[in-house]
Parts: sequence; structure tokens; C-alpha cells
Amino acid sequence: MRLDDPNLKRVSPPKLSWVENLYLKQIVQGLIVTGKHMAGVAFFGTEITVQYPEMQHIPSANYRGVHRLNKDDQGRVRCVACMLCATACPAHCIDIVAGTAPDSWPDREKYPESFVIDELRCIYCGMCEEACPVEAIELTGLYDLTGLSREQMIFDKTKLLSVFDLTKDAEPMRYNKPPVGTPSTEVVSLHS
Amino acid sequence: MATMILNGQEYTLPDNEKLNAIQAAQRFGVEIPYYCWHPALSVVANCRMCEIEVGSKDPKTGEIKMIPKMVPGCQTPARDGTVLVTNSTKVKDHQKMIMEFLLLNHPLDCPVCDQAGECGLQDYSYEYGQANHRFVEERNVNPRKDVSDLIQLNQDRCIMCTRCVRFTREITQTSELQVTRRGSHAEIDIFPGIELDNPLAGNVVDLCPVGALLDKDFLHKQRVWFLAKHDSICAGCSTGCNISAEENRGQLWRFKPRYNPNVNDYWICDAGRYSYKVANDVNLLNSAYLREHGVLGTISIDKALTSVDQSLKATSKDGGKIGAVLSPFLTVEEAFLLSTYIKQLSANSVLALGPVPIEGEDKTYHPDKTTGRTGDVSFVVPRPFTIHAEKCPNRHGVEAVLKHFQGEVIEFKTFTNEVARADYAAIYLTAGGLEPFLDQGVADLLRASTKMLIVQDVHVTPLAQLADIVLPGATFAEKSGSFANADRRLQSFDAALAPRDGSLADLDIFAILLGKSVAPILSNEILAELAEIIPDFAVAKGGKLPEFGAVLGTTPASTTSGSAERFADSWTKHRISSVGSYA
Repeated sequence: MRLDDPNLKRVSPPKLSWVENLYLKQIVQGLIVTGKHMAGVAFFGTEITVQYPEMQHIPSANYRGVHRLNKDDQGRVRCVACMLCATACPAHCIDIVAGTAPDSWPDREKYPESFVIDELRCIYCGMCEEACPVEAIELTGLYDLTGLSREQMIFDKTKLLSVFDLTKDAEPMRYNKPPVGTPSTEVVSLHS
Repeated sequence: MATMILNGQEYTLPDNEKLNAIQAAQRFGVEIPYYCWHPALSVVANCRMCEIEVGSKDPKTGEIKMIPKMVPGCQTPARDGTVLVTNSTKVKDHQKMIMEFLLLNHPLDCPVCDQAGECGLQDYSYEYGQANHRFVEERNVNPRKDVSDLIQLNQDRCIMCTRCVRFTREITQTSELQVTRRGSHAEIDIFPGIELDNPLAGNVVDLCPVGALLDKDFLHKQRVWFLAKHDSICAGCSTGCNISAEENRGQLWRFKPRYNPNVNDYWICDAGRYSYKVANDVNLLNSAYLREHGVLGTISIDKALTSVDQSLKATSKDGGKIGAVLSPFLTVEEAFLLSTYIKQLSANSVLALGPVPIEGEDKTYHPDKTTGRTGDVSFVVPRPFTIHAEKCPNRHGVEAVLKHFQGEVIEFKTFTNEVARADYAAIYLTAGGLEPFLDQGVADLLRASTKMLIVQDVHVTPLAQLADIVLPGATFAEKSGSFANADRRLQSFDAALAPRDGSLADLDIFAILLGKSVAPILSNEILAELAEIIPDFAVAKGGKLPEFGAVLGTTPASTTSGSAERFADSWTKHRISSVGSYA
């Protein structure tokens, strides 16, 4: 927008009298809010902070924390190495090396030989989870992610699968449908 | 002047060319979707995707009569008075139904399919298809099978376009593939025990519009949208096939052919297809080396170049004889700069052509209009495809440069014989081939007969071990420039990879030696310079060559033939222009 735009409406701040300039009313209003909170914490237990780490915070169900790689009912990694998560990732933190699935996996053609996420590069946006066609990658509620070196924060397939074992009871998989969609049986006319 | 009507608009048809409706519409910017049609193969019209409304205009009365039923565009000639309708509801509904039909038994495994991203079914589903699927019965699941050591056939994804079958019958005329069984049980298969192993077999993977025929070498390695495509030329032999070198993360992953009617038509051979691996070799030369007190030690490339320049200048000052060997793997620009440099040092320096690797004999495929053809061939222009025995890309280009500088071409053999007799003070040898080809005997001879031996290569060879200075040059994928093929057709190509660590592109090496301080050196600027100086290269005036290259010693206008546009199946082109690169 240009400064000389005719549609531009100019607003100037109202002129304050010397009483208003003291802001007494606003100070009192602010103190009332503070007082309400203090009273709430003191008498009604409405505090929203927790005494971390003595007390653990439980994040909401859609919290986006550390990734996990889900396993199927046979304990195999669900991932089919389609690399859609790596494609969707805006931080380019996912690295997958795909391989041809072993012959003992008749339902699979492709699987990840290596699956590495750089947890330091990740911005925890959840796009990978959204892109995944087989619900293999999910963001868990684990938020206290720490490490002593950068290398420790690069999670490989084993580590990501262990996150699944760690969190599967607290957070069961959100979807458990078969990886390949069955054809829609809905009959819709070609053109309406 | 022939005119046709396409979607209510009149267009002038080109003379001397027989086009079908698909080709004609493409020229005028209208896409008619197709699967089974390919310009080099006979028309069988079995996919039914290109069916359109066709009619004709009476030249006398101007009355337009339409054929009551739709007909395949691939079989419809575009001639004077032809009327085509491609955008009517009737055509669009038909395309939707055909898409639904082709997808009846097609698995929904795009996430694990290598074709995803360059798949005819994906693209046309999106553009011409529909989301609904009324087929409730169980899908046919045809088996996955191997048709050769290099090619896998996922029969469940096949749409029976028979492009691959027609390729083996009509182009290679080896007929390994055929359709077995009938109806919805139809399958592509080989005869038992007879593999699809002809030297052009890899092309069936490129021809396949879906993910049925897959290259095992590329299988599951990359998703195609991660790959950056670079217009390149195969360095495998003197045919000079136009290829697309596809790279990601500093590594080549595959070569795909690019159409050039004057060179390779639509094809490349398997040897060329897999020659990309040379550029990915981790054992290539990765540093310059200098011999001090009898021991070769690494040295930074700028110091190595200064050392080369100083010692060659000192040699020429003392009146010593300098010999330079120009590898047939050098581009014409590189050959020009090196020759200029060596001749500048001393007018009696000798320029010789490097060893030309020869392997077997030339093999030419001669598809014609009858052999193996099963369908309509009226739109097919059969062109031969040759795999040359001369396994280097630019002998003719380097020879043209050498002829300009010293009037004759000294073969490598003549040069080594002369080296054994005469006294050379310094030899500057360039190699950079696909394979390290110098044997120990030649290496010992060169070493023994000269005081100063400079070797510029990409491989660690016996000769490099004996050299005084080793310069790490660029592989074919790391440089840009121009090659002249067996027909002396000069074609430019781009670099696909950045120079590997520690190396420097040959053109830069020569430019630094010549004292050309402007950086970076652009190959087309050197080509423009070359075109001014050497009459043979006048076709490259201004450093720009026509799309399909130009023959040395001719004028640019006379060298193009056929359509000036590069043919490529629509699904092989990037439809989404801004797919982010994979870091």
C-alpha cells in the first residue's frame, strides 16, 4: 500500500487530559487482574504452572514432540520408504535410504534401510506426520528432549522405533488402518 | 497451403511433414493425452486415451461433416480440411471413462512406485481423470517378474499399451517381449529362458508410461522429484547421444535419453546408460600432486598450476621440446585453450591426439517401415541408431582443433614412437576418459624419455604414479562444453555435478595457465572465440549451437532436420516447476 493511497484512513490518537495522563484507572484495573489471579491460586487452585521437574507436565493430545516410527502388529517398521515426509519436510531434516523389502515380507516392496531424523534441525511442524500415507511417522508428547552432543540428537531407525516402544502405551497409534486404501465402493455418476 | 481446424480455430499445417492429430495438436499448443502412441513406433491405438471427435471440411461447400463416433487421434492424419475437437464434453467424459477403465486393476501403490512423479497415470488421472472408482470386485493381481538382470516387470501396474513389445520388435528387432494370454489376464512376458538383454533393452523402461518396467539399477534408490536434470551428452562412445544426467546430493543417479533426430533419435544404449557410475567413483583423483625429492606429495592446485607454468616456460626458454597429448575426452573448448597455451610457449611444440579406445565393432540398428511393424506406420520416420566402437566422445572435435594448430593430426602411436626416438624436455598429457586406459609399458616409455611429465586425469593410473605433476581434472559430468560426434556434429552440454573436492574443471586449469584471470570461465565464451578463429567451427558463431547441434564446417541453417522441438512424453517432463530440492 502506498502512503498517498486515497483509501487510506488516517487516525490520530485522542488528546489526553492531565488526569488521564496519570493512567491511575489503568493501574488499578491491572492490579485487580493480578489480585484475581492471586486469590484464585491461593483459594481456588487455578494455577496453570507445574512444579517441573518434581511434577511432570502432560501435554495435550496434539502436542508435537519427538518423532517415533510406528511398528505394525508383526513388529516390523510400518514405513514403506516413500520419502513423502522427507519431501514435505521444510527443514530437510529427514534422511531415508530405501531398500527392496526382504522376500519374507510379501505385503511390502520397499522399506527403509536407514531412517534418520536430525532432531536439532527439525522445527516440529508435523508436516511429516501429515504427509505419511501409512501412518508410520508420528510426533509424540515427549518434550524433554536433551542430549550431550549434536550426534546424540541425530536419531536413527533403531532409536525412533524405541521411541515407539516407549510411548505406545501412553499414546496408542491414532490410526490403525491398512496401509493401502481399499477402493471406494461409492457409486457416483460420472457427471451431474 | 493446408489448413486444419482444431477446436474451432484454423491452423496452417507444416509442409513436407506427415503428422497425426496428436502431433499436430501439440504443435498448436493443445495436448491430446495418449499412452500407447510413440512417434518411433507403429500405431496400434489400443489405449483409447487419445480418442477425439474428428471430421472434415468440404473444400467446395465449406460444410463440416463429423464422424459420428470418436476415433483415436494417433491414427488420424492431420491434413487439409481435417476438423478436430478435443475439448468437448463428449471427449472429456470419454477420457474420464478411459482413465477409470485403465485403473481398474491398477494398484494404489504410488508411494512405493518408482514411476511416481513421472507417471502417465498419475498425471492424466489428475488432468483428465476422475476421483471415483465404480469397480467393486477384487482386483487382478498379476505377478512381479524379472525380464532380465537389469529390468524388473511389475505386471500389476501394466496398462498393456505394448510400447515395450513394439520396441523390441520394431527398433531392436529382437522380439524378446510379447503379450501372453488374453483379456484381463493379458500379461507382458519373455519367452522362457530368453532374457530381454539386447544392448538397447534399457529403453523399454523409459518407454513405459507407468511403473511396470523398472530399472533395477535405479530401483528404490531415489524419488524422481528429488533429481535435478541436466542436459548432457553421453561420453561412452562417439555417437554422442543426448542424455539427461539426473543428479541429487552431488551424485549422479541415472541417465535418460533426450530426443535428437540427428544423433540418437529417442534411445540410448545400456552401456551408456550405466556409464554414469564412473562419475560417482569415490577413488577418483582428489588432489594435485607434485614430485619433490623423488616422492609424489599432495599440493594445492594453485601451487601445482604455478609450478606447471613455471617449468614449461623455463623449458621453452632453454629451447627444450614440449609435447602435449590432447585426450579425445577433452571438449573442443578445452582442446582449443590447451593448444593455444602449448603453441604460445613455443611454436615447435608438438600436439598429439590421445589414445582413442576402440572396442568391438560399430553396431547399427536399422528400423524400417516393415520389419516387425504390426500397426500403422504412416507417421513413423525410421532412423538408424548406432553404437560406435570408438569409445570416446570427441575425437573429431579435438582433431579439428589440432588440424588448425599444426595442419595435421599426430596419432598417439606415432607420438609414442617419436618420443622413444626424439628428445622431449616436457610432456603434458591429458586423459580424463571413462576408464583408465594407459598401460604400464607406455607409462614407462613416456617417463623414461622426458625430464618433465605432467599428467592431467581423473583416475589414479600407472602413468600418474610416474608423473612429476598430477593435475586432477573434471569427469564428463563435472564439465560443460561441446563434443563433435562421429558425424562431426558439434553439440553443447551442461555440467551435471560441481567439481569434486580438490579438483578443478579442465577448462579452468587451461584458462589459469593461459593467464585468463576472469573467473569463472564460461565454455560458450570460449566456443564463441573458437568460432571466430577456426573456420570449421563457424557454425558455433556467438558460442551458441542449434538445439540439435550442427555439423562442423557447415552453415547452421542446413543442419537441422525434423521438428525443431524436442519430443518428450508429457509425463516425463516436470509438470510442477517449483519442487523444492532435497537438501
